[in-house]
Amino acid sequence: MTSVTATTRPKPPPKWPYTAVGLALIGIVLVAGWSLDDAKWERLPQLPGEILQYAGQMLDGVLTWPGAHPEGQADPELTYGDWWLQALKLMGESVALAWVGTCVGALFSFPLAFLAAANTAPWFLRVPVQTFFNAIRAVPEILLAVIVMLPLFGLNPMAGAMAIGIHSIGSLGKLTLENIEAVDPRPVEAVTAAGATWWQRIRTAVIPQMMPETVAFWLYRFEVNIRASAILGVVSAGGIGALLNRVLRGREWEWGGIMLAVIIIVTILVDQLSATLRHRILHGAEATAVAA
Amino acid sequence: MSQATLERPGGSPKQVRPAQPPPSPLLIGGILGAVAVTVVAGWAIDFSLAPVVEQWPKLAMILEDVVHPEWSEITDPSSRLWTALKETAAIAIIATFVGSLIALGVALLGSKVSAPPAVYRVTKPVMSVIRSLPDMAYALVFVAVVTGPLPGILALTIFNIGIVAKLTAESIDAVDPGPLEALDAAGATRWQRARVAIVPAVLPNYASYVLYVFELNIRASVVLGAVGAGGIGQLIMLYFNRADYPRLAAVVIVIFVVVIAIDLLSQFLRRRLV
Repeated sequence: MTSVTATTRPKPPPKWPYTAVGLALIGIVLVAGWSLDDAKWERLPQLPGEILQYAGQMLDGVLTWPGAHPEGQADPELTYGDWWLQALKLMGESVALAWVGTCVGALFSFPLAFLAAANTAPWFLRVPVQTFFNAIRAVPEILLAVIVMLPLFGLNPMAGAMAIGIHSIGSLGKLTLENIEAVDPRPVEAVTAAGATWWQRIRTAVIPQMMPETVAFWLYRFEVNIRASAILGVVSAGGIGALLNRVLRGREWEWGGIMLAVIIIVTILVDQLSATLRHRILHGAEATAVAA
Repeated sequence: MSQATLERPGGSPKQVRPAQPPPSPLLIGGILGAVAVTVVAGWAIDFSLAPVVEQWPKLAMILEDVVHPEWSEITDPSSRLWTALKETAAIAIIATFVGSLIALGVALLGSKVSAPPAVYRVTKPVMSVIRSLPDMAYALVFVAVVTGPLPGILALTIFNIGIVAKLTAESIDAVDPGPLEALDAAGATRWQRARVAIVPAVLPNYASYVLYVFELNIRASVVLGAVGAGGIGQLIMLYFNRADYPRLAAVVIVIFVVVIAIDLLSQFLRRRLV
């Protein structure tokens, strides 16, 4: 009896491929770690303690009454509230440049995507436009900012907005063309059979189908761009990054804590707002009411 | 011809056709709102395209340098560029590996399928706070504490935990409940359920998320170097501050090629995985 069940049971699949892949990965990581000869690995055990201590100071800054005066500042009139207001103003600038950048990206990627989708463009247009999208996406915003935008616009938010805008053309273009290719072909065939021109086909059969998802992507890209805009400040392309860089380098932990708190709060608020809008756009009023 | 077929006895085609619905007030409100936000945002950053014309000669001069890159930077294997590139790759590999391993554990704590309610209700908001800070903010904090490539590794590790844990937790939420019920009926513990039913089910998705963050990390390490967190970004800032555009162009070419190559490789692998 027992021998019958033992033989009917299938053999488990071999485990060695997983083990081999796991060991190979660990090997690669060890080689990578060994190649970094100036990494201060011996500092690692002390770091959690230090970081916690600084995080505590940051939290102190956030929790202190805004009317109080911080110690050791040149200006005796300065209050924590001034730091909050200044951080909010700069974060506002970051959000504004992310918005303008997203608009630029949406404006240019939308028409270009129709020249790149398999169901709306011939191959000799598709290939160059798709290559253009991929090439733009491969250049990080910060490089665009440093090489092209800072010389053009100088050290101000326009440089950051344009760097984000150009970079967004690549990513939004790719997503938009995927939306266009995913439309239901039947309405397109119907208007083609009725003798619609290329333009009429796009306007009546393609755009109504892909518009909601595309607008949702724009909003999503805006969320991504807010994070990117906080980074661009570090190369002085506008927004909160420049001051954050200076303050944290100066180890002004209380001040830095307030700035990080503002970044977190504003980012989460905009994310929530944008997620609600996206849900409303994609699923309609009834579904949104139920979800809320 | 079409006109003739549309004609019906006793009425013109206009009466047969239903009226077009008016645009919804919400749509009008949404468009007006978007326009208003754009105007305010444009005003806040002093939107102007005039510098494109005014400063064009300056940019043309730089671009002139950029199209004549310093090839020795690429051809010489002992150049600063290759050292920095190796450092960037090492940072991305270590951060992806460590971050993804931790993220798998965090994801199990962050889904209601695998964790008790008290645990995932705490884990989820903590994760969204961690994700709300850009990688750069972490790098800035770590750079203030320690120098060398270590701050870059730490910043990216935290960043990766945030992303991989979120995506994996969502995959765990969507896991097929059949095997889980079978295990529950057989009296499995939480650990056994995770080990036998959840992890194998999400493994392909998890692997594709790991590849995705590896891609992100290669890009991010360009950025992180700009604040001194090691890697190729530090080189970019060095050449930018010296206005050494020919060498900067060489760096850009290499980054461009590496990013595209890694994108293609990871896209190929991800397509095979899922």
